[in-house]
Amino acid sequence: MKKYIVKRLLWLIPIFLGITFLSFAVMRLAGGDVVQQMAENSGITLSEETLEAQREALGLDQPFLVQYLTWLGGFVTGNLGKSYVSGQEVFPAFLSRLPATLLLAVTSVALTVVISIPLGILAAVRQNRAADYLIRLVSFIGNSLPNFFVALLLMYLLAVRFPVFPVISTGTGWKSLVLPALTLAIAMSAKYLRQIRAAVLEELGKDYVTGARARGIPFSVTLRKSVLRSCLTTILTLLSLSIGSLLGGTAIVESVFMWDGVGKLAVDAIRMRDYPVIQAYVVWMAVIYVTVNLITDLSYRLLDPRIRLGGDAG
Amino acid sequence: MKKRVFSRLLALGLALTVLAGCGNNQETTQQKTDPSQEASAEKKTFVFGDTTFNAENGIADINPHNNSGGWACIRYGVGETLFRLTDSMELEPWLAKSYERVDENTWVLTLQDGVTFTSGRAMDGEAVKECLEALADTHVRAAGDLHIQEITASGQTVTIKTEVPVPALLNYLTDPYGCIIDMEAGVSPEGIVSGTGPYEAVSLVTDTSLSLVKNENYWNGDPRIDEITVRTISDGDTLTMALQSGEIDAAYGMPYASYPLFENDAYTISGCATSRVFFGTMNFESEITSDPAVRRAIAMGIDKDSFVEVLLGGNGYPATGVFPDNFSFGGDSVTAETYDPEGAKQVLEAAGWVDADGDGVREKDGKKLVLRWLTYPSRQELPLLAEAAQDILGKIGFRVEVNSTADHGRICADPDAWDIYVSAMVTAPTGDPEYFFTYHCLDASSSNDGHYHSDRLEELAAQMARTFDTEERSRLAIQMQQTILDDNAYVFCSHLRMSMISRANVTGLTAHPSDYYEITADLDIV
Amino acid sequence: MTGKRYGRERKRDRVRIRLWIFGILAAALVLAAFFSRQLCPFDPDAQNLSMALEPPGFPHLLGTDRFGRDMLSRIIAGARVSVFSALALVAVITATGTVLGVICGYFGGLADAVMMRISDICLAFPGLVAAMGIAAVLGGGIQNAVIALAVVSWPKYARLARSQTLAVREEPYVAAARLAGGRPGQILIRHVLPNIAGSILVTALLDIGTMMMETAALSFLGLGAQPPTAEWGSMMSDGRSMLQTYPWVVLTPGGAIFLSVAIFNLLGDTLRDYLDPRRLWKKEERI
Repeated sequence: MKKYIVKRLLWLIPIFLGITFLSFAVMRLAGGDVVQQMAENSGITLSEETLEAQREALGLDQPFLVQYLTWLGGFVTGNLGKSYVSGQEVFPAFLSRLPATLLLAVTSVALTVVISIPLGILAAVRQNRAADYLIRLVSFIGNSLPNFFVALLLMYLLAVRFPVFPVISTGTGWKSLVLPALTLAIAMSAKYLRQIRAAVLEELGKDYVTGARARGIPFSVTLRKSVLRSCLTTILTLLSLSIGSLLGGTAIVESVFMWDGVGKLAVDAIRMRDYPVIQAYVVWMAVIYVTVNLITDLSYRLLDPRIRLGGDAG
Repeated sequence: MKKRVFSRLLALGLALTVLAGCGNNQETTQQKTDPSQEASAEKKTFVFGDTTFNAENGIADINPHNNSGGWACIRYGVGETLFRLTDSMELEPWLAKSYERVDENTWVLTLQDGVTFTSGRAMDGEAVKECLEALADTHVRAAGDLHIQEITASGQTVTIKTEVPVPALLNYLTDPYGCIIDMEAGVSPEGIVSGTGPYEAVSLVTDTSLSLVKNENYWNGDPRIDEITVRTISDGDTLTMALQSGEIDAAYGMPYASYPLFENDAYTISGCATSRVFFGTMNFESEITSDPAVRRAIAMGIDKDSFVEVLLGGNGYPATGVFPDNFSFGGDSVTAETYDPEGAKQVLEAAGWVDADGDGVREKDGKKLVLRWLTYPSRQELPLLAEAAQDILGKIGFRVEVNSTADHGRICADPDAWDIYVSAMVTAPTGDPEYFFTYHCLDASSSNDGHYHSDRLEELAAQMARTFDTEERSRLAIQMQQTILDDNAYVFCSHLRMSMISRANVTGLTAHPSDYYEITADLDIV
Repeated sequence: MTGKRYGRERKRDRVRIRLWIFGILAAALVLAAFFSRQLCPFDPDAQNLSMALEPPGFPHLLGTDRFGRDMLSRIIAGARVSVFSALALVAVITATGTVLGVICGYFGGLADAVMMRISDICLAFPGLVAAMGIAAVLGGGIQNAVIALAVVSWPKYARLARSQTLAVREEPYVAAARLAGGRPGQILIRHVLPNIAGSILVTALLDIGTMMMETAALSFLGLGAQPPTAEWGSMMSDGRSMLQTYPWVVLTPGGAIFLSVAIFNLLGDTLRDYLDPRRLWKKEERI
């Protein structure tokens, strides 16, 4: 197990290099002349010599690979350059908004678990009955509405029609967290409901359930003690897979609800083609994603003895 | 075995809680401030939602010397200018009490007594001198407008010497960039400045919010609101619903589609005509729009009345020239092409643009009549105008390719990237006609992106630059407008009716034709 | 025993019927998208400002938008863009991913190692985040949105195809074909592909809905279809401010997205049931 962890950690290094290199190359190709762009954004006209001097100061006359390594060095030490638009340092701005996004992400994962597990089990237990069909229909609807639209519907229903929660996040208390988190949770729950239903159905079909029933153990006990536990790995896998779309989804939801996280920062940057900010966002999200995946993978191994004993295959 | 699995699950749960805890820090600090708010429950607070308070519009902060930051500075009651504009767009004194023009190049301003900055410093001649010098050093447009040679200060008087005669100097000083701020207090890293207005800025997060508190020592009245929050709400629907749910007390930049929801007793809509005009700039470097016939056909092909009536929902006025009706040199004092699609077809036909291959797009000398229409989405009506024009010009024989991007500022600097640039600009922000021409249409203009040149216009502009008489300036303004209209160098679609919508209990929030003044000492909640 | 068998047969028949129904519906949707220009009652791009924002009625069955364009026609025309771009996207990533995955899985070696590392890196970017970045670099437009989503989605299929190939490679019939001197290309096409096609097809069908959602998300950010292209996602995004005042402008494209995502998802589910009967009989314990 230890060997495995070390191996996975070492493997992070080339992945990290790959991520940073790709993002750097793509943004550099698209970004055009940084110096020119900064000058135009600040509305100041500069002479060609000044521009040239600035290029030199930024190391833009260096070969591409050298530039990449310099940038990478900056990235590791938390120096991501300055925003073209505001002229402020990117990293502190990014870091100060990261907790808000993580809070939103974690809350929506928690909400997803709370919504999808009971409903998924209910649908499985009542397979092919009214409750099952209803739950599946709702999951289809949740699955086929773009999240900006879900956000609007929720806003309209829960803030305007029945003013329970605020529309815009005011930063005070848990109430402003509910609508954005719910928007994200609805899309995820819709997806996982069906998977959990399938997993539970499979589990219910196993002989030990029939056996337990035959021995007169109450069904609810079987459900709680055995079925739920063996579904946990399924749920964990699903959640780790969903982190990717969750991180992307936060961007839109944050900018609709004015939730001051990195997603909103990125959306504003995309509108303005503020490449240093977009770059920081993409790379950091990738790093977070990889880390979360590693953690789930390891905990998955802890939870499932079959994989643990099975060695490193896969 | 089972127990171990369970304990590990527990550990995982703990890890998740810790992760959530990272995010919670923020919340706990906010809860700390809550009790103080409850303690003084009678405090009056006001929340203002604005779609334009963001870096995209050049308003990243409230520093008047940084890009368009002055707009936020003056709109939200932080800064004030030496002169201000009345409801009929005429000059009146503000921080300056009076002025005297000694000669063509020298102005002596006398300042109000007893005005202090929120930093505590007294606003005197020296403070104004420092501020204007910093402005001229850092703000390109201001430097170009003011042509300041030297400023001297003594007591409450400021003497401004200009390099050349600047007849509209006092008008220029009403521009938001002219907000007088305390340069000794300086600009904080967040972009907060110290002004003389009814409210003092305490915190600012770009693209998010600005917090203001009452200026207890305000010189010109008694501000009534204790705390004001200005929220950037870029999305129009979020703004709509935030006003409906009562989270904001007033809104600027409401989408027209939402107006019907607020046309009732629970809300007040305050609107007035502004000199903001939706207009297209032709690119004279382009193969397409350098052809006078093409420009004429475009001018004849835009259905201004329907645009105003349907797409603006009546919140505007069809435009002829640069300035709206309420200016002496605006409205019908000039003539322009009117909507005539059949005529436009004939103009193109006569100029040799014919659709020989029958694909619906005209061509001439192997060139297709493809019009690259550059615009931007932050004014929600601009993409609508583009889409409407796409259809109507399409019927005339154009193929219109719309590029609607927040990045328009950079693209329009590249003359190879567009044919017509459609924007919404304030044409007479300071009530004087010179601004539009010096900013957009002359060889020396900083924003002459279409590289338009007219000998006659240059001549008239030179004449205006020397003219101090207001009536003579108006006459010149009419001639200058007619010149650019005759060249079809610009096509003016509509003047905007600017509105703010507030809850019915909000008083003293009135729309101003200059679009400058929003939050004033009169603002109150009853 | 016989009674039970009878029950299974009946269940299988039912699945077959469902498969037909959803297959026909999906085919109808694709056909409608293909012949959209012929099916539109009005020109979907023709504006008529004097008829703007008419509620559903006659002659505009689903009403008109703010340019006075017929909503029904725009929904039908939008099918072409929305359905086709989602299909094209899924087809491209499935084909690329499968080919690469099968080859890597079957031959292994250095190419496999390199390819899998590349896919690791691509997988490290959360899908929509990377798509946003790429679309921001390429600029708006439905083509760029499709490219952006394709770049980040193919590795999933490469992974799937590779692991399936690894499993199939050791099956006796493939070993037999190898011993009989079959060329690798032949073996791949005749024996490997047909055996892994099912699971890939199911994944692809279920992904169509996801792709439509993500295109819509990009449209919301202004990185999707550009005007006047009728595309469901951008129609919803453009019309969202009229949800309270002129709801049909946003609800009709929303309904269209819902219907088509539902059809493809149901087809995918049913196909999975059909190909994987164990799921239905839920008897055998899997290892």
